[in-house]
Amino acid sequence: MHRHTGVRNWTRVAALGMVVTVMAASCGSDDKTTSVSAAPGGSQAPSGTTGGSAAPGAEGRELVIDRDMDLTTLDLSLTYCDTCQIFNTAVYETLITVDPADPNTLLPRLATSWEANTDNTVFTFKLDPAAKFDDGSAVESKDVKFSWERLANMKGSASYLMAGLESIDTPDAGTVVATFSAANSAFLPIVAASYLGIMNSDVATEQGATSAADAATTDKAGDWFLSNSAGSGPYKLESYTQGDKLVLARNDNYWGPKKPVFPKVTVVQVKDSSSQLQQLQSGDADIAMQISVDSVGQLEGNADVTTKIVDSYNFVYIALSPGAAGGEMLQDVNVRKAIKEAVDYDGAIEALVAGKGKKQASPIPNGFVGSADLPLPEYNLDDAKKLLSDAGLADGFDLDATYPDANVYGVDFNLMMQKIQQDLAKVNINVKLTPVQFPDWATRIGDTGIPLTAVYFAPDHTDTGQYIQYFGLIPNSFWAASAGGGSAGTPMDNPKESELLATALASSGDAKAKAYTDAGQQMIDDQIVIPIVNTQLVLASRTDITGMHYSACCNLDLSLLGLAG
Amino acid sequence: MRRFILRRLAAVPLLLLGIVTIAFCISRLIPADPLASIVGVRQMNNPTIVDAARQKWGLNGSIFEQYWAFLQNLVKGDLGVSFRTRQPVTHDLLDRLPATLELAVGALVVGGVGGVALGAYAASKKDKLADHLSRGFSLLGSSLPVFWIGLVFLFVLYARLGWFPGPGRLPPRTEPPGHVTGFYTIDALIDGNFTLFRQCLWRLVLPCFVLGWAYMGQLSRLVRAAMLDEINSDYVRTARAKGLAERLVMRRHVLRNAWLPTLTILGFSFAQLLTASVLTETIFQWNGIGSYAVQAANTLDFPGINGVSLFAGLAFLLANLATDVLYAVADPKIRLA
Repeated sequence: MHRHTGVRNWTRVAALGMVVTVMAASCGSDDKTTSVSAAPGGSQAPSGTTGGSAAPGAEGRELVIDRDMDLTTLDLSLTYCDTCQIFNTAVYETLITVDPADPNTLLPRLATSWEANTDNTVFTFKLDPAAKFDDGSAVESKDVKFSWERLANMKGSASYLMAGLESIDTPDAGTVVATFSAANSAFLPIVAASYLGIMNSDVATEQGATSAADAATTDKAGDWFLSNSAGSGPYKLESYTQGDKLVLARNDNYWGPKKPVFPKVTVVQVKDSSSQLQQLQSGDADIAMQISVDSVGQLEGNADVTTKIVDSYNFVYIALSPGAAGGEMLQDVNVRKAIKEAVDYDGAIEALVAGKGKKQASPIPNGFVGSADLPLPEYNLDDAKKLLSDAGLADGFDLDATYPDANVYGVDFNLMMQKIQQDLAKVNINVKLTPVQFPDWATRIGDTGIPLTAVYFAPDHTDTGQYIQYFGLIPNSFWAASAGGGSAGTPMDNPKESELLATALASSGDAKAKAYTDAGQQMIDDQIVIPIVNTQLVLASRTDITGMHYSACCNLDLSLLGLAG
Repeated sequence: MRRFILRRLAAVPLLLLGIVTIAFCISRLIPADPLASIVGVRQMNNPTIVDAARQKWGLNGSIFEQYWAFLQNLVKGDLGVSFRTRQPVTHDLLDRLPATLELAVGALVVGGVGGVALGAYAASKKDKLADHLSRGFSLLGSSLPVFWIGLVFLFVLYARLGWFPGPGRLPPRTEPPGHVTGFYTIDALIDGNFTLFRQCLWRLVLPCFVLGWAYMGQLSRLVRAAMLDEINSDYVRTARAKGLAERLVMRRHVLRNAWLPTLTILGFSFAQLLTASVLTETIFQWNGIGSYAVQAANTLDFPGINGVSLFAGLAFLLANLATDVLYAVADPKIRLA
């Protein structure tokens, strides 16, 4: 009878150990009742320095933003990512900014006025004498010269924005003159790109930064920028833990008319949409930046959360490369046109983003100059079959489709390519799908090319020229090279696009818009890049957060956010 | 014993060299270029930017030149600079190690204590309902994918019921404690901040349970089988026949002998928990070495991949050594030398 007594006693000891462990853990109370600052939406008084944090103060609370961050550096001259746009805009100001409501309207920021000469090669900016860095020193022309030259010479990914720069002159502390070797009317929108923010040159130089021609190898300030900032924006960097969070503190010396509301802004690394949704619902986050469109329904009826679906300038597309191995049949433009007409765009938009997206005519996204009058793509199966039949391909052919295994702007690329596969099967094109990791994809497309692939694009700035430079069949264009061109005189070179780009960059107003529209039509006729959906964005926040928006230049400008009441 | 330990330790550098060499070769031989992650795809056809990046990140030499430079730096304890974080890999790993250790130790406690208790309980209730339930619970832990359990637990216990805190090592809007050890629980205690200590401990429960459940399942089945073997063995019957008290029989004979197979899995499991926390860390926003490994792999961060490989290899080698030593301590019949 007492054969198992020892086992039972021993079991009790072990069980007791487990209970003690769980009890120790369970003595912790719910975080929401013990966090150091007021709960979102509530008016709870700060509880001192519990947890080691500074008291948020009665004037505001810490803003928590959930986001899957793609940051690799906080050095302004080396940044190049979506999250970088948010950070740069909050910490470093540009001379000009973009109206969030209209990407084609430029507004003053550090500069009070600007002008271009008649041939768009010389740009003169007058700085606001009231502008101050966070240490109280004035923003001067030498800081602009240093920042822009450093951007060019550090040779980071965004340095291409300064291509063609001949010189930057500073006739006085409040005037900057930038001269280009060729007409560049895109420069004013480029100046509004967050990467052209202005840093305090004195502070940066003290920390080893340089703007010299050899800055890419001699600059020593990279580490310093991971824990410090030297900008004039409404916030300054407090700390950054890679893979965890980015913390910004209010710049109490902010010179602008609209003072920052939040004493602290924390961007928390949260990878997936569902986790962001849960944390927004629970109040652990104030803003969730990457909630998928199809999960918005879960927030309906939740009075604590506000959602809004807005247009974006982001899009996903498929691209054809006639120059790729296995893509020879695509050299016939009518075959490419047949593929374009075989895609059921409405069905794809419904399947991929629950109908919350728009068709897009050309690589120029809806809303950008030149996009308005272009014809939207139409599903026309009969015409697609006829085109293939005329090309002698009525029985179809095999097509390799290697693409990044990604989910971008709420679009699951696997799902999208399965939809394309189904659509093209109706015209007897047998698409072989191969999802790969992004670096693998990039390597393949640069080596042998990929006949059919899928990619995405978000603007770096608000000038349409970037789309022609990247998607057009012109020298040095990424997709011209992938299509088998990339230099003048090759079969995949479209000299009309080069001419139209040059015309646009040398003009302004209606003439510029017409050149861009014509270039858009040329890119449609190229049948190389086929936009599938111009995606929309979900702006999701706690109800008491005001000013939620999406900006073409800056993604989310934290200075425009506030608290209701 | 000392000679055994020294001999094993002496072999560690050679084994680690083999591990990092294999990791280096695999990372360099796969047909993908990390530059796409470094400069961005859009700039891949910009020769100025690409050349500058190749030079900066040491990708302009041949594989042999890169390997030789890697070894030279490795000898100096320098694992290189991560392409992704732009920080020395050694710094990255040391920075994230406390988070991973905190999680692994917690999971080991949950899995170890729970597994032994469950196994012993099941053995004591052999073939009864409690035994079947215990074994079913173990089976679930061993069979269910960690990412699925993690997501379900977060959805039900955090998002729906609000019984447990959300993901992350710290509550939102809370500063970490002063950095002494990097273990938030310990550092909070050092700070004298018991509220934060409790919060950090509470936040460990779900991820540790998710990570430890699979281990608990394995261990409980092992303990149950070992206990049943020992209980039914001849020497136990002899001990009882000699009139030894049942408690002493169990403690001195059954449990001690049942521990031996458990010890084997113990050390190995700790190394496994350290390196298998990849999914748990990702789901629970745990900024440890597991999530670092995922990000390094996704972006072809060669220095990061090599650093994590070195760490994982070291963890397994040391865990094996510790297991052997513990085995010898527990069973004097084993002669290590």
